[in-house]
Amino acid sequence: MPLISLRQVTKTFRTPAGPFAALSDVSLDVEAGDFLVVVGQSGSGKSTLLGLISGIDRPTSGTVQVGATPVHALSERAMSAWRGRSVGIVFQFFQLLPTLTAAENVMLPMDFCRTLRARDRRPRALDLLESVGVADQADKLPHTLSGGQQQRVAIARALANRPPVLLADEPTGNLDSRTAQGVLGVLAELASSGQTVVMATHDATARRLSSRVIAIADGRVVPDEPPRG
Amino acid sequence: MVSPRWRKVLRDAWLHKARTLLVVLAIAVGLAGAGTVLTRWAIVRAVVQVGYAASNPASATLRVDSVDRSLLESLRALPSLAEVEAGRTASARARVRGRWANVMLFVRQDFTDVSIGRLIPEAGQWPPADGAIVIERSSIDLTGVGVGESLFVALGGHGPTPLAVTGIARDVGLAPGWMEHLIYAFVTPATLASLGGSSTLNQVHLVTRDRTLDQEGVRAVAFEVRAAIEAAGRRVDDMDVPVPGEHIHAGQINSMLVTQAGFGVLTLILSALLALNLVEAMLAGQVREIGVMKILGAQPGQLATMYLAFAGLVGLLAAIIAIPVSSAAGREYAELNATMLNFDASQASVPWWVIAVQMAVGIVLPVVAAAAPVLRGSRLTAGEALRDFGMSADGTGGRILARVGGMTRPLLLSLRNAFRRRLRMARTLLTLAVSGGILMGALHLKASIRETMDQTFRAMRYELTAGISPALPAGAIERAIGAVPGVRAVQAWGGGSAAIARPDGSWGNTFAVSALPADTRFLRMPTVAGRWLNPGPHRELVVGARLEDGEPALALGSTVMLRIDEQFSDWTVVGVVPAVLTSAFVTREAWAAVTGDTLLNRAVVALADTGITAQSETRRAIHTALADAGLQVGSALVAENRASVEDHLLLVADFLSAMGWLMLVVGGLGLASVMSLAVLERTREIGVLRAIGARHGSIHLIVQIEGLVVALLSWVLAIPLSVPMAWILGDGFGRIFFKTPVALTPDPRGAAIWLSVVVVVSLIACAWPAFRATRISARAALSYE
Repeated sequence: MPLISLRQVTKTFRTPAGPFAALSDVSLDVEAGDFLVVVGQSGSGKSTLLGLISGIDRPTSGTVQVGATPVHALSERAMSAWRGRSVGIVFQFFQLLPTLTAAENVMLPMDFCRTLRARDRRPRALDLLESVGVADQADKLPHTLSGGQQQRVAIARALANRPPVLLADEPTGNLDSRTAQGVLGVLAELASSGQTVVMATHDATARRLSSRVIAIADGRVVPDEPPRG
Repeated sequence: MVSPRWRKVLRDAWLHKARTLLVVLAIAVGLAGAGTVLTRWAIVRAVVQVGYAASNPASATLRVDSVDRSLLESLRALPSLAEVEAGRTASARARVRGRWANVMLFVRQDFTDVSIGRLIPEAGQWPPADGAIVIERSSIDLTGVGVGESLFVALGGHGPTPLAVTGIARDVGLAPGWMEHLIYAFVTPATLASLGGSSTLNQVHLVTRDRTLDQEGVRAVAFEVRAAIEAAGRRVDDMDVPVPGEHIHAGQINSMLVTQAGFGVLTLILSALLALNLVEAMLAGQVREIGVMKILGAQPGQLATMYLAFAGLVGLLAAIIAIPVSSAAGREYAELNATMLNFDASQASVPWWVIAVQMAVGIVLPVVAAAAPVLRGSRLTAGEALRDFGMSADGTGGRILARVGGMTRPLLLSLRNAFRRRLRMARTLLTLAVSGGILMGALHLKASIRETMDQTFRAMRYELTAGISPALPAGAIERAIGAVPGVRAVQAWGGGSAAIARPDGSWGNTFAVSALPADTRFLRMPTVAGRWLNPGPHRELVVGARLEDGEPALALGSTVMLRIDEQFSDWTVVGVVPAVLTSAFVTREAWAAVTGDTLLNRAVVALADTGITAQSETRRAIHTALADAGLQVGSALVAENRASVEDHLLLVADFLSAMGWLMLVVGGLGLASVMSLAVLERTREIGVLRAIGARHGSIHLIVQIEGLVVALLSWVLAIPLSVPMAWILGDGFGRIFFKTPVALTPDPRGAAIWLSVVVVVSLIACAWPAFRATRISARAALSYE
């Protein structure tokens, strides 16, 4: 049974210019442990796809299932609780909370979801920061970190509650190529350790590291491409 | 260990500390204003309740022809009475700093054994010895002398006699002497006799055994006492039954307090609006962070708790600042008010519950104010929050402005900016406009009070009133006084006292009646209802509005039975005048027909000089002339009466102004906070302006003009707002003090004063935000997230 399953999902946004179909009739399965890379041009629907898997957006029609959870049917309250425990998300612009240190940013999901006892949260956060190579930045505020360091902290934060699914939306889109390689390496390492990763990207080098690649164009999934590499 | 989310709350507050501080201060000012009123109320209430009850005030006082020991003993045997004592009061004059001041002498047989209306010795010796005088504390300043010096006191037509001032005592049952322009003093019967007065006591002060009786219940007991006195062969001239347990000024003070409490609450509401502005702006700036936190698993309740806790923290800080201020100010204010009531509150402490209430209100108020936007924000879905693009361009206001020609680009930008956050601007406008409305309203009220006083006293076309004993024919009085240099005109009046006779045989409190020619040119009192007196012996009565209010039986058109000189007669109330005095008017002919006496006992005198010193001299000359003619005379200058009444009233208007100024501070802080928010929100725009060549001066001007736009709009709003404000204040105020609304008289200076004040407030409030705006560099601004 796939970990992520989308069936005939359509997502239409209302815009001043009229309805805009970001995704049309998309069906997709992702197995546990997959490192799926979603490619496509800007506005093709990649981020919308990730938004539907994470419950940030709800499908206009169709169903989204993650594990045993029908994400499309969750109430907003249940959605927050589910998402905090089940999905880790990494954004293009990092989205670290500026007034919290790196370690505190990582501890925040544990705090909200009460997944660990309070005294166990900081050690866990430090472990995660260690695993992504920024343990020495634990007590610094985000604005004092480089873009690559911030994104590593964001990855650590996404993993805080040990979610079965890690979603990364253009995680290297705001980084120089050398830093981007480092971040991709971290994600590849996670995937190789069994973490399911779904990543939307423009970065051609990401294809090499993935187990599977799909392309989206004009809101539709085009047939799977074999990963290059 | 503090969890990350609470660290976020604290650090966010610290990150925007200047803005947070402004709102903390605004709430603190509002809280301090309301807290001051509450503190004052609690202290004065406690002091008055304890102090007034401790003085054991008389339940009723009866004026009798004479009181002796046997009469007192017989009255003490009455089961309805707990205590009975005798006393006497006498009006005299004292020579103070070259002028004559009115004196009220209180006489008791034995001051060491006073139980009703207990006196508190404060300085010097107590009790007064024969030949000595003890001054009531609240009038010591009026005497111009201190303990150990002499006060020259004259009674009736007798010459001034030096009395040694041997002490100072407090009588909490008296309205303060400084306010009444009256020297209260205590002397023995022997001292009164040495001044030429009667040493016979003529008042019976009584305290009922049942302390729960209302005014009517006490009156019934007083009638029982009257019957006993008359059974003993004595005559009861009148009796006074005050409202039980209520101080003579309690009504005025409480009315003033209610008004101030209203303004205190209004100030609090306005400061809460500023808290709302802050939290709303904070949420607007953190929508994306809210989205991220939701993605990290935050529940709406957790987010709401975080932001409401922030609001509560702002309130807590405000309370910590406000409570010491309100405690200090409230104590000062309570002392002032207690002094107005003739109590001493200098040793009073602030009750713990007053501090607890302020702390609770301080914390809860911003939480309540912030509740709606916080709940709205916390319920945003993660998607909505992440797609938020912040501040948008203006709508209708901007389109209208775009059509207005002749404006420079920076000016147009300032005007458009002012209209971008319309709800926020409306709240700031409201705060400033309300404070302006109240300040101008208070100015209008002061002008209205003066105008009402002018109208009332303009109607009195005389400068002095004199009471003469024994009574004389009108011509004799007018000739005697008319011959005194400095007298321009004189008219003899009659009159005395009357009381309403009730069907059950009792009668009400006595009130003064002036008997005058219906067509007198000395009094042109406009009626607020009904008409003035018709000439002739018709038993018509025109009553002062205050008197009508106290005696509902004297309503316009009603026929009442009056007890005058122990005779009963029916009178019809034909008119009501807006008198500040509790008196009634009848024609001389009607008075003579009822009393059977055509002799008159008073005069109204128009003086040639308007100066108070010259008037005082003429008054002394009248006294001398009448004394030389073997007459006793007591007199009062109208100007002194007016000063006494006006002092009471303007004091209240000044307190209202103080509340207006307090609101202005809140409004100014609000404007500063809103402008700093505006600068913060438009950091990127300002960066763009700098990138395209805007200089320091232009950026500074754009921010200052935006603030001025808000300030000027508030000025425009405040002008019409001040009219209903003055009307409401004047109506309530007039009904409390005059029993009719005061004549609404706008003070034209109000608008000009407020304009200059609000412009200055705007320039000060926007100075720091404008300076901050000029510090923004194009590079930093364009990288601002």
